[in-house]
Amino acid sequence: MSRPGLAALAVLALIAVLAMVGPALWTIAPEATDPVHGLAGASAAHPLGTDELGRDVLSRLLWGSRVTLLVGVAAMIAALLIGLAVGAVAGFKGGWVDAVLMRFTDGMLAIPAFFFILVVITVLGTGVGTLVLVIGALSWMPVARVVYGETLRWKEAEFVLAARSLGVPGGRLLARHILPQAIPSLVVSATLGVAFAILTESALSYLGLGVQPPLPSWGNMLQRAQQYVFTAPVLAIYPGVAITVVVLAFNFLGDGLRDALDPRRRR
Amino acid sequence: MVSAVRRQLVSLRALGLVGALIVSACSSSGQPAASGTAATQGAPASGGTVTIPIGADPTLNPWSPNAFVESLFINRVIFEGVTKPGKDLAPAPDLAESWTTASDGLSWTFKLRTGVKWSDGQPFSADDVAFTFNDIVLKKDLGAQNAASYAALKQVTVVDPNTVRFDLSRKFAALPSFLAYNAGILPKHVLSANPLTTTSFNKGAPVSTGPFKVEKYTSGQSVSLVRNESYFGPKPYLDKVVFTVVPDPNTQIAQALSGDLSIMILDNKAAVDRVKSASGLVVASRPLVQYYWLALNQTDPRFTDVRVRQAFVEAIDRNAIIKSVELGYGSIANSPITPALAAFYDPSLASKYPYDPAKAKDLLAQAGWTAGTNGVLQKDGKPFQFTMDVGQRGVLEPVNALIQQDLKKVGVVADLNTMEWNAYIQKVVVRRDYTATVNWWTYPSDPDVFPYYHSSAAGKGFNIPGYQDPKLDDLLVQGQTASDLEQRKAVYKQLQTYTSDTLPYLFLWYPQEIDVLSSSLHGVPELGLRDAVQYIGEWWLAKP
Amino acid sequence: MVVFASALTFFFVNLAPGGPASIMRFDVTAEQRDVLIRAMGLDRPVPQRYAEWLAAAVHGDLGTSLLTNEPVSARIADRLPNTLTLAGSALLISILLGIPIGLVQAVRRGSPIDHVLSLASAIGLAVPVFWLGIVLILVFAVSLHVLPSAGVTSVSSDTLWDRVTHLVLPAVALATTILPTVVRFTRSSTVEVLHEDYVRTAASKGLAPGVVIRRHALRNALIPVTSAVGALVPRLLGGTVVTEAVFGWPGMGRLALEAAQGRDYPLVTGLTVVIAAIAVGASIVVDLAYTWIDPRVRLQ
Repeated sequence: MSRPGLAALAVLALIAVLAMVGPALWTIAPEATDPVHGLAGASAAHPLGTDELGRDVLSRLLWGSRVTLLVGVAAMIAALLIGLAVGAVAGFKGGWVDAVLMRFTDGMLAIPAFFFILVVITVLGTGVGTLVLVIGALSWMPVARVVYGETLRWKEAEFVLAARSLGVPGGRLLARHILPQAIPSLVVSATLGVAFAILTESALSYLGLGVQPPLPSWGNMLQRAQQYVFTAPVLAIYPGVAITVVVLAFNFLGDGLRDALDPRRRR
Repeated sequence: MVSAVRRQLVSLRALGLVGALIVSACSSSGQPAASGTAATQGAPASGGTVTIPIGADPTLNPWSPNAFVESLFINRVIFEGVTKPGKDLAPAPDLAESWTTASDGLSWTFKLRTGVKWSDGQPFSADDVAFTFNDIVLKKDLGAQNAASYAALKQVTVVDPNTVRFDLSRKFAALPSFLAYNAGILPKHVLSANPLTTTSFNKGAPVSTGPFKVEKYTSGQSVSLVRNESYFGPKPYLDKVVFTVVPDPNTQIAQALSGDLSIMILDNKAAVDRVKSASGLVVASRPLVQYYWLALNQTDPRFTDVRVRQAFVEAIDRNAIIKSVELGYGSIANSPITPALAAFYDPSLASKYPYDPAKAKDLLAQAGWTAGTNGVLQKDGKPFQFTMDVGQRGVLEPVNALIQQDLKKVGVVADLNTMEWNAYIQKVVVRRDYTATVNWWTYPSDPDVFPYYHSSAAGKGFNIPGYQDPKLDDLLVQGQTASDLEQRKAVYKQLQTYTSDTLPYLFLWYPQEIDVLSSSLHGVPELGLRDAVQYIGEWWLAKP
Repeated sequence: MVVFASALTFFFVNLAPGGPASIMRFDVTAEQRDVLIRAMGLDRPVPQRYAEWLAAAVHGDLGTSLLTNEPVSARIADRLPNTLTLAGSALLISILLGIPIGLVQAVRRGSPIDHVLSLASAIGLAVPVFWLGIVLILVFAVSLHVLPSAGVTSVSSDTLWDRVTHLVLPAVALATTILPTVVRFTRSSTVEVLHEDYVRTAASKGLAPGVVIRRHALRNALIPVTSAVGALVPRLLGGTVVTEAVFGWPGMGRLALEAAQGRDYPLVTGLTVVIAAIAVGASIVVDLAYTWIDPRVRLQ
């Protein structure tokens, strides 16, 4: 894989490790308030300072990374599952099922998703579960297209036809023989999907529709920090930079994987 | 009786003046005052435009159920009430010149100003007042905003073209104060067919009596006002007043910093230091008739024990909330009567419940809550744990985060459930399906807090905790029926002491408003901006 | 598809907890709430209300806003031009900047300038748009005082120039949501085209590189870019919601947020219909542009 791709992988590995063990090592609770020492600068006790309620920013960033990555990865998995189902069924069944499903996919792609997210979240209420579902439900289309394309490409392949003639049932055929062919492209879509989900989460949290306090996420940390942008801009810088770095890393990783897995593009 | 009312007005005025002096003394020592003496500023000059930000498109009709907080500013400038809040917040003449109450207290008679014209040139008369109340407020099926405040009003009778009588079903001492609070009089000759939903009026160019009238309403952008040439009072100094729609508080601040705004309420108090350091801007704090509270649902047996309620107040570090969330702009509350109502406020209660977690634990122990596992209190084997519903608005989220941590320190677990505002109202207010929640009340400039505390309002009205207490009910009724000011003051002093003992709501703090003014703007009275706009005729801009 | 979207939205938004903001006020009594629910007709079943709405909508009447009593179509018409101006400007910036940048990168592939620009567009793709908006306001409006921070026009002057200065920051912020993608598509498709035999042939004939690119490579490279831009339009429209919130831009995005939070059922549904119609319209425009650029399609 390319150097930027490897670097991105290293950064993400580091962040994943921090998210997993960080809260265990840095034991200040993210919700512990100390209003007398609000908006304090960096110190030994608080290496990144405190927010307006005296909560430790480092601890909130570490815990926030868990929520943010969790939402990002879970939403990506949701998108992957939906996309896989739609694409595989449409490609494998063909006929009117294909027509309806792929028309629906195109329709979803043409819709400015954010407007509909507003409505859906209003109905379902805010929360991590809703967020995962909503982001997943609005980002499965590229996955569906990839899977659809691969299914069409391989379902007439000789080894698939051979398996079919041996009486292997359709579902098994898909799972065992066709879908594995799509894994390289799916890995790329999934990586880019996490980046999209994290950006969407932060934008929704900015509008107050995302992860709700007191649970910290990078997105809702930014929302609170925005109020202090005139007096303590550094509060907005940490989560803003964190989001940018993680999204950047996922994008680089996705590009790196695409180049590595698709020899035609290696130029 | 007439003389009694006059005396009441005079003494209110006098007391209010003392209050105003205190406020200005504070502001001259602390923050720079917005309006100094004429000697330092020169004589008022005519001309210029004042720009005020609002959060959303306003509805230009004070009685429309869609007139939300962003509409208050404009409606208070263009429409006039029978009375308006004086600079001491006691009711002062507006469309009425004077008023008296009957000896039985069951009616009030208002003598209206003569020669008042609507902005379209038509004469204003007692018919308009009668129309506003009989055909809008008292018409149940219109659902007019604030109509519930006039439950005691039977009808308004036109005595002669310049005299109206408000006929009551029971005594209502606070009526002149209520008439000063979002009770603008509407033109009968324009709205008789459709008083609340005429779009050309509500979202266009309404006919009004105030010093300014609407020139242009641009949806999503601004509403500009020009002088009302038919106005009965002195000609305003300003040429124009523009309300510009800026939903994002930070954008409002950025606009103020770049000199685009003349005066604004600093909703985001966190930015106060940045604004203070800007040249050309002046920061002033103003008292509000508002208090924050924590309601504990009285249908939950854990909260009917007054010791538990007192323990919670002792456990919550309210000074820390004021310091971190309000940036110091507020004071501890122990009753519903705010310091802004200087004639009634009892300052001796301010230090009643100092922050004392140890005492809180004692009180909880007396109430039967003993140490359990993980430092959480328990009673009958059940841990002291409940959910606090948090509405997404203003400072509620950080305040709840602080209260949660304070309660944790005394062994009480409060889980926070943050919700979108609309869904929150549905759950907490409409369905009363909540255990504990923080919010605030703003009310007319009168200590009559009957609607928020009387047992008749429990469970469905504004009595959110559902607290019911015959002794409190009695005090509330006494306050409404006492027509002598001294008697009212005595009743409300008792009421403050009683509510601070019994804690129907857990009182948190009285917020202050931070106003940001351009240093060239003068003549703004030292009131909350939503009251100060009712004196906009006195505002003026220094020539650059 | 538009009817389907409207039905889905209408039924869905009616499921939302709460109700129109005027009845979900802290200071409204239960009695008033009942009166208002009846006055708005919300006591009738949802299918009946939808049937009435649809019957009127077919004749171009999208209903009346519950929060302002204005016609929904008028409220949308007030905001639509602002959103189209914002999204259109952002699109224009993305095309006018994105294609040249992509071309430069393709031609100078592997050079330091290619790497720097690649990194820049990768960062552009990763920065949250609202965050960028806040930074732009702080730098250009608060610190440097060179551009206004919010709104469509100034309070005092409403000239074309004034409108343009107000447009700059939000359009730039919104453009970053799609600009990097346009750059990347242009770069990769140009690189691809530059490897095609006919381009190599042209170059080997001794034609100047500029001529090769202009005459032979550009048009073919732009074909995939056009369809990419078309696919980006929904993302652009979605991005207006957040951008309008940051810059106080009175457009459809802000209206949608207000309508959803205020449970203005007819307005939410009307907005959905209009947005869906715009998306459909945009895809038609893209198809036309495609035809114009690619002669093969034109011939068919």
